[in-house]
Amino acid sequence: MNDFITYLVSGVAIGCAFALIGSGFVVVHRVTRVVNFTQGTLAVFGGLIASTLLKGALPHGIAEIVAVLSAGVIGLIFGFIATGKRGTPPLISLLITLGLSTLSAAFFILFWGQNPISPPGIGGATDVLGARIETQRLLVVVVTVIAFVVLSLFFDRSYVGKGLTAAASNPRAARLVGINVRWMGFLSFGIAGVLGGLAGVLIAPTNAVSFASDLPLALGGFAAAVFGGLVSVWRTLLGGIVLGVVGQLVAGYLSGSYQTEVALLMMLAIMIVRYKSLSAEEAK
Amino acid sequence: MTRRIPALVVCVAAVIALVVPLFLPDLSFYIQMILAAVIVTGLSLFMGYAGQASLGHGAFVAVGALTVAVMTVRLGLPPLLALICAPILAAVFAYIVGLPLLRLRGHYLAFGTLALLLIVQAVIATVPFFGGGLGIFGVPPLGVGDAVISGQLPYVYLSLAVLALALLISRNVIRSRFGRGVRALAGSESAAASSGVPVLRTKLAVFALSAAFAGLAGGIMAFFTPYVSSESFPVATSIAYIIMAVIGGLGSLWGGVIGAVLVSLLVQVLNAVSNQPGLPATTGPVLQYGAYALVLILALLFIPKGIVPTIAQAMRRRRDRRADAAAPTDVAVEPWASVQG
Amino acid sequence: MLTLNDVVIRYGSAVAVDGVSLSVERGEMVALVGPNGAGKSSLVNAISGVVPVASGSIRLDARSAQVPEGRQMFADMSVEDNLRLGAWKSKDRDPAPIYEMLPDLQRLRRQKAGTLSGGQQQMVAVGRALMAKPELLLIDELSLGLAPLVVAGLADHLQKLNREHGTTILLIEQEIALAFRLCERAYVLEAGRIVASGESAELALDPALRDAYLGGEVGGTPRREDAS
Repeated sequence: MNDFITYLVSGVAIGCAFALIGSGFVVVHRVTRVVNFTQGTLAVFGGLIASTLLKGALPHGIAEIVAVLSAGVIGLIFGFIATGKRGTPPLISLLITLGLSTLSAAFFILFWGQNPISPPGIGGATDVLGARIETQRLLVVVVTVIAFVVLSLFFDRSYVGKGLTAAASNPRAARLVGINVRWMGFLSFGIAGVLGGLAGVLIAPTNAVSFASDLPLALGGFAAAVFGGLVSVWRTLLGGIVLGVVGQLVAGYLSGSYQTEVALLMMLAIMIVRYKSLSAEEAK
Repeated sequence: MTRRIPALVVCVAAVIALVVPLFLPDLSFYIQMILAAVIVTGLSLFMGYAGQASLGHGAFVAVGALTVAVMTVRLGLPPLLALICAPILAAVFAYIVGLPLLRLRGHYLAFGTLALLLIVQAVIATVPFFGGGLGIFGVPPLGVGDAVISGQLPYVYLSLAVLALALLISRNVIRSRFGRGVRALAGSESAAASSGVPVLRTKLAVFALSAAFAGLAGGIMAFFTPYVSSESFPVATSIAYIIMAVIGGLGSLWGGVIGAVLVSLLVQVLNAVSNQPGLPATTGPVLQYGAYALVLILALLFIPKGIVPTIAQAMRRRRDRRADAAAPTDVAVEPWASVQG
Repeated sequence: MLTLNDVVIRYGSAVAVDGVSLSVERGEMVALVGPNGAGKSSLVNAISGVVPVASGSIRLDARSAQVPEGRQMFADMSVEDNLRLGAWKSKDRDPAPIYEMLPDLQRLRRQKAGTLSGGQQQMVAVGRALMAKPELLLIDELSLGLAPLVVAGLADHLQKLNREHGTTILLIEQEIALAFRLCERAYVLEAGRIVASGESAELALDPALRDAYLGGEVGGTPRREDAS
């Protein structure tokens, strides 16, 4: 039973990171139709920048916030490069973001080396229903839920958020009312950067990150986003948690080496089974 | 399509390709380059003509290599038989996974194929019969009965022959009625479907053909290396195939070859640079990743059609101006033109 | 208020608008009529600044807003959100004046725009454009796909807007009879060129025009001719 709770909580925590990354996919895709392959890279940026800032003696909290905002700025720049040229088809933009994530890998090795890095989180452990759980994992869950609430408030209540939704739902009409749809696209990349950076900052203390972490993080995030049809943020959260928990249970009870396969097969199965409705939702 | 590269240029290139290996001390790089050209020729066919991206083409290279390793080492079957089976099994595998996978399009297919590669890696790593954590060592040299290939040079010429075969097949596919159907796919799937092109079957056929090229290249690699493990087919290599295909020009017959040669040479130069004494060990990967990425990004932004179609277009324009005559009828395909992510 | 001088619009090698000159004075209500594919939408989109002009000039010394062809709702958003987004570039985002002018919208304000009828959506589109407080209102196809009774209601609103609020209106319309009834002046666009212009009353008597449009008005669903 204790094992089960441990797996469950750590699964939820990893799932939350996937969900944050996945919601970045959703935000960018909704506004620009582009799938941003750098989504995992942005998380790595978050984690690594936080580790350097913490070593540079910035206090907890400040260091993490600066790291998250930096990831946001990097996301914005990536968006500018990938979608800035007028008339770039979405699939070409995807390949450009693929290039950007490769370029970032070079950057990571140059500045942080090849070994995984784990910045200090909030130490200690907490009792949850009799199981000892690292407090950092609980923090991941709490911060993620807050982030999702803020995100959906931003989209549903704020004027800029509505502008983003408008640019996504009808770019032609958005242009006519004076919304700069391209800039909304860049902004969505910036938001995706913040979400990715947040995921990296939260997960790095328990799961060290390196230049090679971008791909598993991006795939996990994409799988979560596919749960939400690449349009729904809350279903992405659900998808991320399901993915994380199933992965941890498989790793715990069967074998750690099956974890990747299970996540990937789940993603493939959802994509194939739901493809018709996925494309229908995109066409809206 | 072939008219865009004059026959003379092809002959000169072929002679160079045949002569150069006689003067190189180590042929590993050369073989890798030729095999990459084989793989990218197939990938370019699929991406350019089906208008879709496959980020995990290494999966089919892996199937081909694994076919050779398992048949020779595990089952003790004749090497030549194993090599013949490599492309066949890769094509069959592509057909089977393609049945569900190719219903996806755009970024879903891109991630789907990437997931396929990772699953293949994971299966190789976890199933001992396929090598498990150790991999399969000691693939025997290629040969028939007691006549066995020794040294690197025969593998070079075998690879070149395979490349020639791949180009010939691609050319015939592109020129055939079937090829026109495939090209219609890159334009618009619904338009292709309404004009009677069986969309899924056509895509499957191109996918399987490009997988056969990859499988054959993988089979030769397995004999040459002679070792196969889950780490022989990293994601970065599959991404490099994409880079080569994009730079050369998707859907152009010679784009795959040109892209593979240029990118391989670039990487080789960078390796030479990073092996200079006194540089930190991370110089290699940093330069390599950095160069790959910059080349890909700049190519996508500034010559999105790729080198071969861009040059061909420029040449045609010049010729048209000079001759002021009717333009040639073979219009360059514009891959992606209508592809929506 | 609006002057177009020898405007040319191209999409690639295709010429959509080929040397059009026209002008609209403050307080006028002018129609731009012509068959499908004549270049009307291209022209109005160029005036709105979303389609580039290849040559010639557009001088507009007033705030303008466009009611686009096909209504172009933000379908998943409420009517009120649609209206408020119309004021993207201004500070004043209060939809109350619009509700006063178009009381139906107040009743519908919480409904999702995508669920409304065509006529209601057209009203939202007009309201959304008015949120920008335009001095010049560009209307691209008012009657398209709407029942005659609905069109008549909308036409009343537009006339009221023009007379009581002094809003200048440039109306793009395929239904020539309607356009001539509403507007005192009209331009006839065909294959990218102005082929006739003047007082609506006089144009309506032109035998060539009458044969081409008024008599043989063609139905069916027109297709979009602009490349946005």
